[in-house]
Amino acid sequence: MTGSLNDDSIIIEIGDDGVLRVHGDIDMASGPALESAIVGHRVRDADADAPSVETVEQTAAAGLDLDPPHVVVDLADVSFIDSSGLRGLLSAAQHVHRQGAALVLRQVGPEVSRLLEITSTAGQFVIESRRD
Amino acid sequence: MTATEMTLVGPVRLELPPIGGMSRVARLAASGLASLAGFTLDEIDDIKIAVSEVMIALVEHGAASTLELEFRLSDSDFTVVGSTYIPDFDPDHPDLWLCRTVLESVCDGHRIAVDRGTATISASVSRVS
Repeated sequence: MTGSLNDDSIIIEIGDDGVLRVHGDIDMASGPALESAIVGHRVRDADADAPSVETVEQTAAAGLDLDPPHVVVDLADVSFIDSSGLRGLLSAAQHVHRQGAALVLRQVGPEVSRLLEITSTAGQFVIESRRD
Repeated sequence: MTATEMTLVGPVRLELPPIGGMSRVARLAASGLASLAGFTLDEIDDIKIAVSEVMIALVEHGAASTLELEFRLSDSDFTVVGSTYIPDFDPDHPDLWLCRTVLESVCDGHRIAVDRGTATISASVSRVS
């Protein structure tokens, strides 16, 4: 049997504040999409008047002095992550780090916290906040 | 027969195409079965992770058109056994490091075996009480 598969296991929204909000499971199917979204996302600066740049690469190329530049990912609506999803996040974090920026995780739930702890990878991210 | 009188028999078997999206299908099936068998929410969370990690190893390294998953229930354990054809499977491959680390932490036991090109991965989650 054949058929098309519409994998809507994850929704990634980019808010007006530039924050990537993730809804759904971060797993083998959705991890690559999340990684791509983070890598292609513009770096945010705490200064609202900072020059507008579209991607992490462009920020670095422009030599902008953002303090600190960062990509924020809100995980308030994520209740499952596996090692494949974590690999996507780690790869995205490495990419962001190479551009001199930080990957910030917001509203990290117990499921994500647990996997970060198990794999000793929490240090690869800036954990802004956690939730119960 | 009421739900409380129901006796669970097994195993429950799934045959799945080796694509990432099937991981969610496997988790849903496993969590439904575990719930039916009276596992706690925390235990079901562990079972979902175990199933997902087994799927990762088989999908990312497998070479067959299908993979097989089997869920085995006992009074004390939920065991997932996955297998597929992986001709040159290396259980110590660096890509599997995260996967094995998670299995070691979440499961009460896991095993990876290769026999004549077929890799079999089993992982068990025990009831706390």
